[in-house]
Amino acid sequence: MTLNTSDIYKFSASSKIALTLTSVFALAGFTWPFFAPDKQSAHIAQYFFWVALPFAFFLLLAQLSDRSLDAKSVALLGMIAALLAALRPLGAGAIGLEPMWFLLILAARVFGGAFGFLLGVLGMFASALFTGGIGPWLSYQLFAAGIIGLLAGSFAKKLRGWGEIALLILISVFSALSYGLLMDLQFWPWALGANTQLSFIPGGALSENLHRFITFHFLSSMAWDIPRAVLTTVLVVSTGPAVLAALRRTKNKAAFLTPIEFSERLK
Amino acid sequence: MINFSQVSLVYPTSTKTILEDLSFEIAEGEMVLVIGSTGTGKSSLLRLINGLVPHHTGGILAGDISVDGISTRLVRPGELSHLVGIVGQNPAQGFVTDIVEEELAFGMEALNIAPELMRKRVEEILDLLALTHLRDRTISTLSGGEQQRVAIGSALVMNPKVLVLDEPTSALDPIAAEEVLSILHRLVHDLSLTVVIAEHRLERVIGFADRIIHIAGDGSAEINLPEEILKRSEIAPPIVHLARALGLSQVGLSVRDVRRMTEDIRSAGKDAEIIKQKLGEVTIAAKNLNLSYQGKPALRNVTTTIYTGEIVALMGRNGAGKSSLLTSLVGLNKDAKGSSQISGIDSAELKGKVRREIVGFIPQEPSDLLYGQSVAGECAQADKDNECAPGTALALLERIVPAIDSNTHPRDLSEGQRLALALAIVLSAQPQVLILDEPTRGLDYQSKALLITLLKSFAKELNRSVLIATHDVELVAELCDRVIFLSEGEVVADGPTLEILLSSPAFAPQVAKVMSPRPWLTVSDVMKAVTQ
Repeated sequence: MTLNTSDIYKFSASSKIALTLTSVFALAGFTWPFFAPDKQSAHIAQYFFWVALPFAFFLLLAQLSDRSLDAKSVALLGMIAALLAALRPLGAGAIGLEPMWFLLILAARVFGGAFGFLLGVLGMFASALFTGGIGPWLSYQLFAAGIIGLLAGSFAKKLRGWGEIALLILISVFSALSYGLLMDLQFWPWALGANTQLSFIPGGALSENLHRFITFHFLSSMAWDIPRAVLTTVLVVSTGPAVLAALRRTKNKAAFLTPIEFSERLK
Repeated sequence: MINFSQVSLVYPTSTKTILEDLSFEIAEGEMVLVIGSTGTGKSSLLRLINGLVPHHTGGILAGDISVDGISTRLVRPGELSHLVGIVGQNPAQGFVTDIVEEELAFGMEALNIAPELMRKRVEEILDLLALTHLRDRTISTLSGGEQQRVAIGSALVMNPKVLVLDEPTSALDPIAAEEVLSILHRLVHDLSLTVVIAEHRLERVIGFADRIIHIAGDGSAEINLPEEILKRSEIAPPIVHLARALGLSQVGLSVRDVRRMTEDIRSAGKDAEIIKQKLGEVTIAAKNLNLSYQGKPALRNVTTTIYTGEIVALMGRNGAGKSSLLTSLVGLNKDAKGSSQISGIDSAELKGKVRREIVGFIPQEPSDLLYGQSVAGECAQADKDNECAPGTALALLERIVPAIDSNTHPRDLSEGQRLALALAIVLSAQPQVLILDEPTRGLDYQSKALLITLLKSFAKELNRSVLIATHDVELVAELCDRVIFLSEGEVVADGPTLEILLSSPAFAPQVAKVMSPRPWLTVSDVMKAVTQ
């Protein structure tokens, strides 16, 4: 009889399907402003996604945590998520300086994409509870953080040394910028009011809305996304080697997938 | 209750056999002590009982282990949680909640036990372990002994039939250790609980153990009555070493037994002349040190002087202010008021290289000093900081404990090895004063003997001062010239080791208790008196 100790959290086949479906749904939730045909349907879409996304998300999480989350994964997940939640408000949230992203990216890199997805979601959720950042935007944020975790843990797993740091820099910049893009996308239709030159025009032409959004995003990203990308990159480069080593040591110590063997006598 | 039949254990990452062909049976209501040097597999043996090894760690397990008739190979550790309670070495690491009552309820919460039953069990445990008056307290404000009692309580609350403890008294002062052990003793006798306990400080537990499992380190192990094991074992409490040195026909395990056997020695032996040591120069001079945490005084007007060539012990109960005094003396405690000078310089002013050459301080957790990724890296950094020739620190470490793999991560070292590494780093700067906080926590007798030799040669040959805060009376008896006794932040006694240790029964070493009223503290003292 040959067994192994439990593995670090991985997606099962049905989890992958659930994740893909939710992703498509969430993508619709982000991009509906460009496709809403008129004012009324834009109105409905806004409220529909505010209500439906959390539910879809809840179903996804229920599916992801149905099994295969063993005690060691839960312990790791809880601890790093708590660290993320504590790190996020440290930058006071101003101009996008949230020092949580570097740790999410590094942890996802070591423990894998599936773990990174759960970690991003959980860390974001815990920090929202801390900072009172609960609102219709939360499920968008959770989803984006999860995807960043998934992304950070899914590339070139064998890469080490400076190549690894370079890859992490790429991931940091990409995720900081795309997080900003996604957040602007969910923010832009409702937060700006109806009367500015950059406001969303419900039912307006795709090209007009796209133009307005890109201008809006460019202005906001100057203020938020670029500082976020810079901070994350600086933290990844400066703490990366030490944090990666510590996390890898944790992974070794936790003895994931170590063979267990029972026998009658010692060979 | 616990049945090991032909058990062997190998970890997949190493080629060493941890345990080989071990068979024994532990009956219900038995208290079994596991002894062995560091790294011989005591903890592995304990964790085999509830299945954490190999289910959680991986490993090859041959033979069969069953607890209350359930084979650990068939069930996951979680399914044994109601049967086997486990208490770790450092209770603070295992606590999940903040309040005593909540901590006790936590395990039952996880097992989905009905609230009424939970309420009732929490009350029972509070009574049983005399924790009632602490029920609403924040756990972090409790003393070490109280914390250990809470940890035992939260294991007992699940009503286990077996309680497994890994060095439960190593962080405790003698009085708190006594408190914890007598509660265990009562549980064994009143509730017929089966207890398996690993401990380095045999002098504390030996009187309570029904049988001993001695793990030799080469994979073999022996289980037998304490008298039988201790007749031959290298690991033995001072009282057994005394019986051996005196050539007594039997080894006694309690002070009472050995006292009866040594009546003639007590009346015959001659006291050694007390040689007054000449005082050296002043190295540490502290005047009117005061310190309070949130209005609670931790140090009150402490004034003391320490001279070169002296080894001084700082003793007192948990929370008496020992660590606060040490950090204030070396100038690390910014809130301390009063003056503290080391080698004539205000200790708060000491910085960088000058500081390292004047005072070496090893905190309670030596890993607080260790930030490198490997032993070699740590030593190289020390060489660079102290401007020594490359390899100095590593060579020193090699002298203290040979055969440490220099690629090991400092936190993967055993307790004794970690202390040795911290010592090597601190000593490579050749400080005038060496200050250690609880250095013998978790050390086996062998490492302790090594530490004693090392510190003695440092203080006597190089004429430097050593100050040690410790609970370990046996260490003090062997090593120290002078004892400063703290209570509630005040110095209540300060004098030669002999005087101070003999004046307090709780802090007297075993040999002194046997030989009372003669002033002999250690086996070698007795032998000197007898052969004179």
